[in-house]
Amino acid sequence: MNTAKRAAQLLSSHNVTSLFDSVEAFLFDCDGVIWKGDKLIDGVSQTLEMLRSKGKKLVFVTNNSTKSRRQYAKKFNSLGISVREDEIFSSSFAAAMYLKVNNFPREKGGEGILEELQLAGYTGLGGPEDGEKRAEWKSNSLFEHDKSVGAVVVGLDPHINYYKLQYGTLCIRENPGCLFIATNRDAVGHMTDLQEWPGAGCMVAAMCGSTEREPIVVGKPSTFMMDFLLQKFQVSTSKMCMVGDRLDTDILFGKNAGCKTLLVLSGVTNQSTLEDPSSTIQPDYYTSNISDCLHLLGP
Amino acid sequence: MLGRTAVASSSVSVPAVSPTIPKFLGLKTLSYNSFSTPNTKWNYNFKFSRKNIAASKMETRASAQPLKNADELIDSVETFIFDCDGVIWKGDKLIDGVPQTLDMLRSRGKRLVFVTNNSTKSRKQYGKKFETLGLNISEEEIFASSFAAAAYLKSVNFPKEKKVYVIGEDGILKELELAGFQYLGGPEDGGKKIELKPGFLMEHDKDVGAVVVGFDRYFNYYKVQYGTLCVRENTGCLFIATNRDAVTHLTDAQEWAGGGSMVGAIAGSTQREPLVVGKPSTFMMDYLANKFRILKSQICMVGDRLDTDILFGQNGGCKTLLVLSGVTSLSMLQSPGNSIQPDFYTNKISDFLSLKAATV
Repeated sequence: MNTAKRAAQLLSSHNVTSLFDSVEAFLFDCDGVIWKGDKLIDGVSQTLEMLRSKGKKLVFVTNNSTKSRRQYAKKFNSLGISVREDEIFSSSFAAAMYLKVNNFPREKGGEGILEELQLAGYTGLGGPEDGEKRAEWKSNSLFEHDKSVGAVVVGLDPHINYYKLQYGTLCIRENPGCLFIATNRDAVGHMTDLQEWPGAGCMVAAMCGSTEREPIVVGKPSTFMMDFLLQKFQVSTSKMCMVGDRLDTDILFGKNAGCKTLLVLSGVTNQSTLEDPSSTIQPDYYTSNISDCLHLLGP
Repeated sequence: MLGRTAVASSSVSVPAVSPTIPKFLGLKTLSYNSFSTPNTKWNYNFKFSRKNIAASKMETRASAQPLKNADELIDSVETFIFDCDGVIWKGDKLIDGVPQTLDMLRSRGKRLVFVTNNSTKSRKQYGKKFETLGLNISEEEIFASSFAAAAYLKSVNFPKEKKVYVIGEDGILKELELAGFQYLGGPEDGGKKIELKPGFLMEHDKDVGAVVVGFDRYFNYYKVQYGTLCVRENTGCLFIATNRDAVTHLTDAQEWAGGGSMVGAIAGSTQREPLVVGKPSTFMMDYLANKFRILKSQICMVGDRLDTDILFGQNGGCKTLLVLSGVTSLSMLQSPGNSIQPDFYTNKISDFLSLKAATV
């Protein structure tokens, strides 16, 4: 890149009002922005309330495919934040929508994905229960797979095992036209509050390794979900602000879509990573966490 | 599709080589302590260094010739390196004519070596398999990628007080033990479960200095996280892959997801590329050329897979013979999408006997 990239501006009382006034919809990533594992990040509740009271639309865009939108709404509610299902865009939902948009017959997937697939009217095989299955390898024994599987959807799966890898591999390699869809490719994420854990990027890369194929990615930074957001909210992307903790998914998603971008340092990215010369992705603004908006703007 | 041949440039500066450590052709010998930062991006260059440009330049090769004069080929080399799956056996079944072919080659004074990417067994265990199938092969003639991983650690003077975390099967554990290295992990970690709940922290041994990843039927999230934590957080931790084969013939009836899957998983979560010791990396070729004091030009590599066996032979600068008794068919070899052309191809190795007879 030869053009001098504009370095991210620290969010401050000088720029917060102009950002705030120019944005109608705030898109929030969840892990590392709203919560860490199952713990709410400080000040989030009040910040979201303040934004709503000022008439801003709120949308939650998460790559974490382990829950469906319905399950996410439950999680928000249990943490004391009132959010509607239709304000949530999870990559599990994105996968189901991708299939719908492409008029799809049958597929296989993982937990939150399965529920979304069911809600969208598809039959899913696999998922968490395959975590208990074991493959057998004896001479003359054949590992069978359903020849009618037309898509393999891969997302974060803590129940990953050889059975699933083999099943998915056979479907992709042997069923003609079988799609290989990835909810996202995040390398690691804060599945618990205390440390990072391997993300969907791990399971997806495992499948790439055995199929020698690249997947269709429906989650961030792919802008696939943006089409649904635009349809729903009728707001142009220039009036949206993507708030996230990850440069290569959240911020890149925002930039690809033409939104303003705000990086928070409450998740996987710290200041030194942002300032490292090898970081080619620069958000418009950055701040410690989203409650800074509350403090800077006032009640 | 043959992504492994396109190697991104290495961004690590390599320190001077110690003159007392034996140098493997094409492989810069490094001491373990040269890896100082945990996030160093590592790329093992499969192709030879500048020293062997003739072998590695990307010239368009002539199409593979069907093997007609077996004698000529046999007389022109001193050593035959055989892949195992798809060449010697398929699953647990010997391929027709193999014993007689190997006997004939030995009677003509040829050295026989067996190089396999399959890391599930140690050399000793492979020796037993050969014996069960009625083949007279010694342990010293077998080079599995499990052995290669241990040999690699030896070659870089991996400190004995450091540990190795293994995502793989018994073969790797046995070879590490033989080489005197301490290890953790392996098949028993396949029984470990995790619960992602608040307050849960997975601890890992800070003395792990290398994570070795290979084909693993007991693969699970626990191992992925353990290996990922070691690679990301232990300073200078090595990430070694026995091989990256996409699929493998575990049983003769079908293909099975291979080591490339497990290695891919760890590369995906660590965002680092591994050091590959198995084919098509020339590590094993360099090792045996050095050990037996043989010239590469005196070797013929015989295998059934283009992107591992044949590429291995080409990278190593030796003659290559593709057999169609394994995963590659004639149409795959001749497909316009295929860019790897061995010197010769034939149906199976026993053609050495029948073709030889025909030319008498």
